[in-house]
Amino acid sequence: MDAVEQANAERQKRWVKDQKVGEGTYAVVYRGREASTGRKVAVKKIKVGQFKDGLDMSAIREVKYLRELHHQNVIELLDVFSSKTNLNLVLEFLDSDLEIIIKDRSLVFLPADIKSWMAMTFRGLEFCHRNFILHRDLKPNNLLIASNGQLKLADFGLARDFADPGYKMTCQVITRWYRPPELLFGCRYYSTAVDIWSVGCIFAELMLRTPYLPGETDMDQLKTIFRALGTPTEEDWPGHTKLPDYVPVGQFPRTPLRDLFTAASGDTLNLLSKTLTYEPRKRISAKEALHHPYFTSLPYPTHPSKLPKPLSSHSSRPLEEVDGNVDLAPHGAPAKAAPPNKLKRKLSSPIDDLRPLARRLDFGQMLGDGGSNDVC
Amino acid sequence: MAAKSSKTADEPTTSSTGTKSLYEASTQFKSWNFSPEQLVIVRESLNSAAVTAIRNTFETDEPGSSAHVSFLNAEDEHLLVKLYITKIPQLCGHFRFPEEVEATAITYLKRFYLRNTVMDWHPKNVMLTALFLATKTTNNPISLDSYTSNIPRTSPSDVLDLEFLVAQSLGFEFAVWHAHRALWGLWLDLQYLPEITEDLRPRDVYEMALKHVRNSRFTDVELIYTPSQISLAALSLASPLLAQKWVDSKSSGATDSASETLESIIGTVKYFITQAGQPPDVEAVREVDRRLKLCKNPDKVVGSKAYLARKVEEERKAEAKRNKKVEDARRAIEDDDPFGSALNEAERAQRIRELDEDDD
Repeated sequence: MDAVEQANAERQKRWVKDQKVGEGTYAVVYRGREASTGRKVAVKKIKVGQFKDGLDMSAIREVKYLRELHHQNVIELLDVFSSKTNLNLVLEFLDSDLEIIIKDRSLVFLPADIKSWMAMTFRGLEFCHRNFILHRDLKPNNLLIASNGQLKLADFGLARDFADPGYKMTCQVITRWYRPPELLFGCRYYSTAVDIWSVGCIFAELMLRTPYLPGETDMDQLKTIFRALGTPTEEDWPGHTKLPDYVPVGQFPRTPLRDLFTAASGDTLNLLSKTLTYEPRKRISAKEALHHPYFTSLPYPTHPSKLPKPLSSHSSRPLEEVDGNVDLAPHGAPAKAAPPNKLKRKLSSPIDDLRPLARRLDFGQMLGDGGSNDVC
Repeated sequence: MAAKSSKTADEPTTSSTGTKSLYEASTQFKSWNFSPEQLVIVRESLNSAAVTAIRNTFETDEPGSSAHVSFLNAEDEHLLVKLYITKIPQLCGHFRFPEEVEATAITYLKRFYLRNTVMDWHPKNVMLTALFLATKTTNNPISLDSYTSNIPRTSPSDVLDLEFLVAQSLGFEFAVWHAHRALWGLWLDLQYLPEITEDLRPRDVYEMALKHVRNSRFTDVELIYTPSQISLAALSLASPLLAQKWVDSKSSGATDSASETLESIIGTVKYFITQAGQPPDVEAVREVDRRLKLCKNPDKVVGSKAYLARKVEEERKAEAKRNKKVEDARRAIEDDDPFGSALNEAERAQRIRELDEDDD
C-alpha cells in the first residue's frame, strides 16, 4: 500500500460513524465520534462516483475554504478522508441551528440574546471576509449552534474567494429571501456587501421571529424588499437602473423601520438600516458593524452559554462547562424532536435568578432607552 | 459577565489564530513550507523507500532480477517532474486558462511529488489530473470530456482514476497563495508612492517581473519562500531601484538586522530564479524516462504478475469481509431472543461501519 493510501486508511480509522442523521442529493450526514476520545462529530459523506466530472464543485469549495478557516465562529473541519468513491468530511458536531431556535415558539428572545447572536455572526463573517472569502449562502439554518451556545457559520458549498474588483461572478447565489437587490438585478460584480444584506435579513428575522422578506419568486422578492424598505431612488443607489436585469417593479414609499420594529432601540435600528442599505458600497462592512455602538451599548450581549436553546440539548447541560463537544452521556433525542418547554431557560441559566420578572414584562427595563414594551 | 461578553464584540480581530498573519494561518505555510535541506531529505527518503519496495517486488517475482536495474535517484525524479511542470503553461495557453489555474496546477504537481514517487506514478497523467483539479479548485471548471478530448491520446479515465489520489496527496489542501498575486500587490503599492512618477514605472518593468515570477515556478522557491518574498525578488530582478523604493516605503523603523535578513533572502531567491528558472534539458530527461520504463513499480503496471497478485489479495480480503457479514446476519437470526441481543456500543458501531463501507 502507498504511503498516501496508508495515511488515508489511518485517518479513516480515527473516526466512527454511529447513525445516519440526514440525506441530501449528493451527501449523507452521519453522527459519529472520534474513536480515541469519544468526541462527537458529524461525518458528511459525499458520493463522488456518480459525477462524470469527478470531485464536485461544492465539495471542493467546502473543503478548500474550511481547510483554511479556523475561527470560533466558523464550523471546524476536523479531517477529510476518502473511502472508495466517497469523500468524507469530518466536521465538529453542532446540536442546533438558528432556524430551529427562531421557530421554537417556547423560547423567548431578549434584545441581549439577539445582540449576542449578531456579534457571533459578524465575528465569523468578518473572519471570512478578512480571508477574502464570500460565504454567499447565509441564512438562519446555516448558522449552527454548539451546545455551549457558540454560533458558527456553516455550509461553504457556495463560497468563493474574491480579490480583484471587476472579476465576474455568478448572481445565482444566496437563498432568495436573503438575497440582496443587486444580485436580483443581475449584478455580476459584487463584494462582501452581499453577505451583509443576508445578515441584515437574519437580524430582522431574529426580532420578528418570522422571515423578514419572504418573496415568492425572484421578481416578487424585489417587490417584497421595496414594499418593506421603499423603492430605491437614483440618489439612494446611483446606477442601479443600469444593472443587467433591472426592471421597474413599482413605486413603494419608504416606511420607517420603527413602524415594524416597534420595540427595538435606536442603535438596533441604526445598525439594521446600515446592513439593509441599497447601495452596496455604502452598506456597512462586517468589521465596521462590530464597532457599531449597538454592540457596546446596554444591554450587553448575553453570554453564549446563557442563550435560549431548544430543550433537547438540556441532557448534555452538565457537560457544557467542560467542552461543547465532549458528550459522555447517551445520545438524547435529536434537537428537532424536542417538546416545547417554557421553563427551559430557567433550568439552564442560573443567572436567570438575577432577573426576577417574566421575560415579556422585562423589556422596557432591559432596553433602558424608553423603547416600547412589545416583543421585538 | 457583562463586561466580558461585551469584549467579544470589541475585539473582532482576536481569534483562535491569535496574532498570526493570515499567511501563517494558511495550509500553505503550515504543511508546504520547507527548508532546502528538508526538501532534499523528503525526496531522498521517498526515493529510497520506493527503490527498496520495487526491488523486493522484482525479487519476489524472479530472484536476481533487480541486480541490473538502474533505479532512478531523487535528482532523476526531480528532473522528470520539472519537465512536466513546463508542459502545464503550454496546455494552459491552449485552453486559455487564467494564470491562477496554471500556477495552482504547477504547485499541485510539485506537492504531489513530495508525497509520491515517479516510479509509482508517472508524471504525465498526474500532471493532467493536477491541471484538471486546479480548474475546479480555482473556480474555472470545464467538463472532463471537453478537457480530455482536447489533449491527444487521453481519455477521461486517465484523469478521473488519479483525481482522488492527487487530492489525497495534497491533503485536500487546495488553497494556494501565489507570487503573481503578490507581485500585482507590489505594483499597486508602487502607484501610491508619490516619488515614483509614472515614467519611473513603465509597464514593461511589471511584465518583466511577471516573467521572472513565471520562471520561478520551474524552481523550488515556492516551497521555501513566501509569495511576497518571491515577488519582491522578481521585481528586484526587473528593477532593483523600484524594489528598493518599495522596501524603503515599508521598512521605516526596521532594524538593520531585519533589513539584512530581507536582503539575503531576496538575494537567494534571485539566485534560484536565474539559476534554475528554465526548462530542463530534454535529452537528459529522455534518458531518465527511458530508465523509468525498466524500473517503475510493477505493482502499478496493469497486467504484470505483481499487479495480478495484489488484485487477488484484495479480492480475497473483500470475500472474507462478505463472508463475515453473512455469518453475522445468520447469527443474529439464530439468536434465542427473537429481538436479538443488545449489542454493546463498540460492536454496534463496528457493524454500522461495515455497512457504511459497503453501501457505495
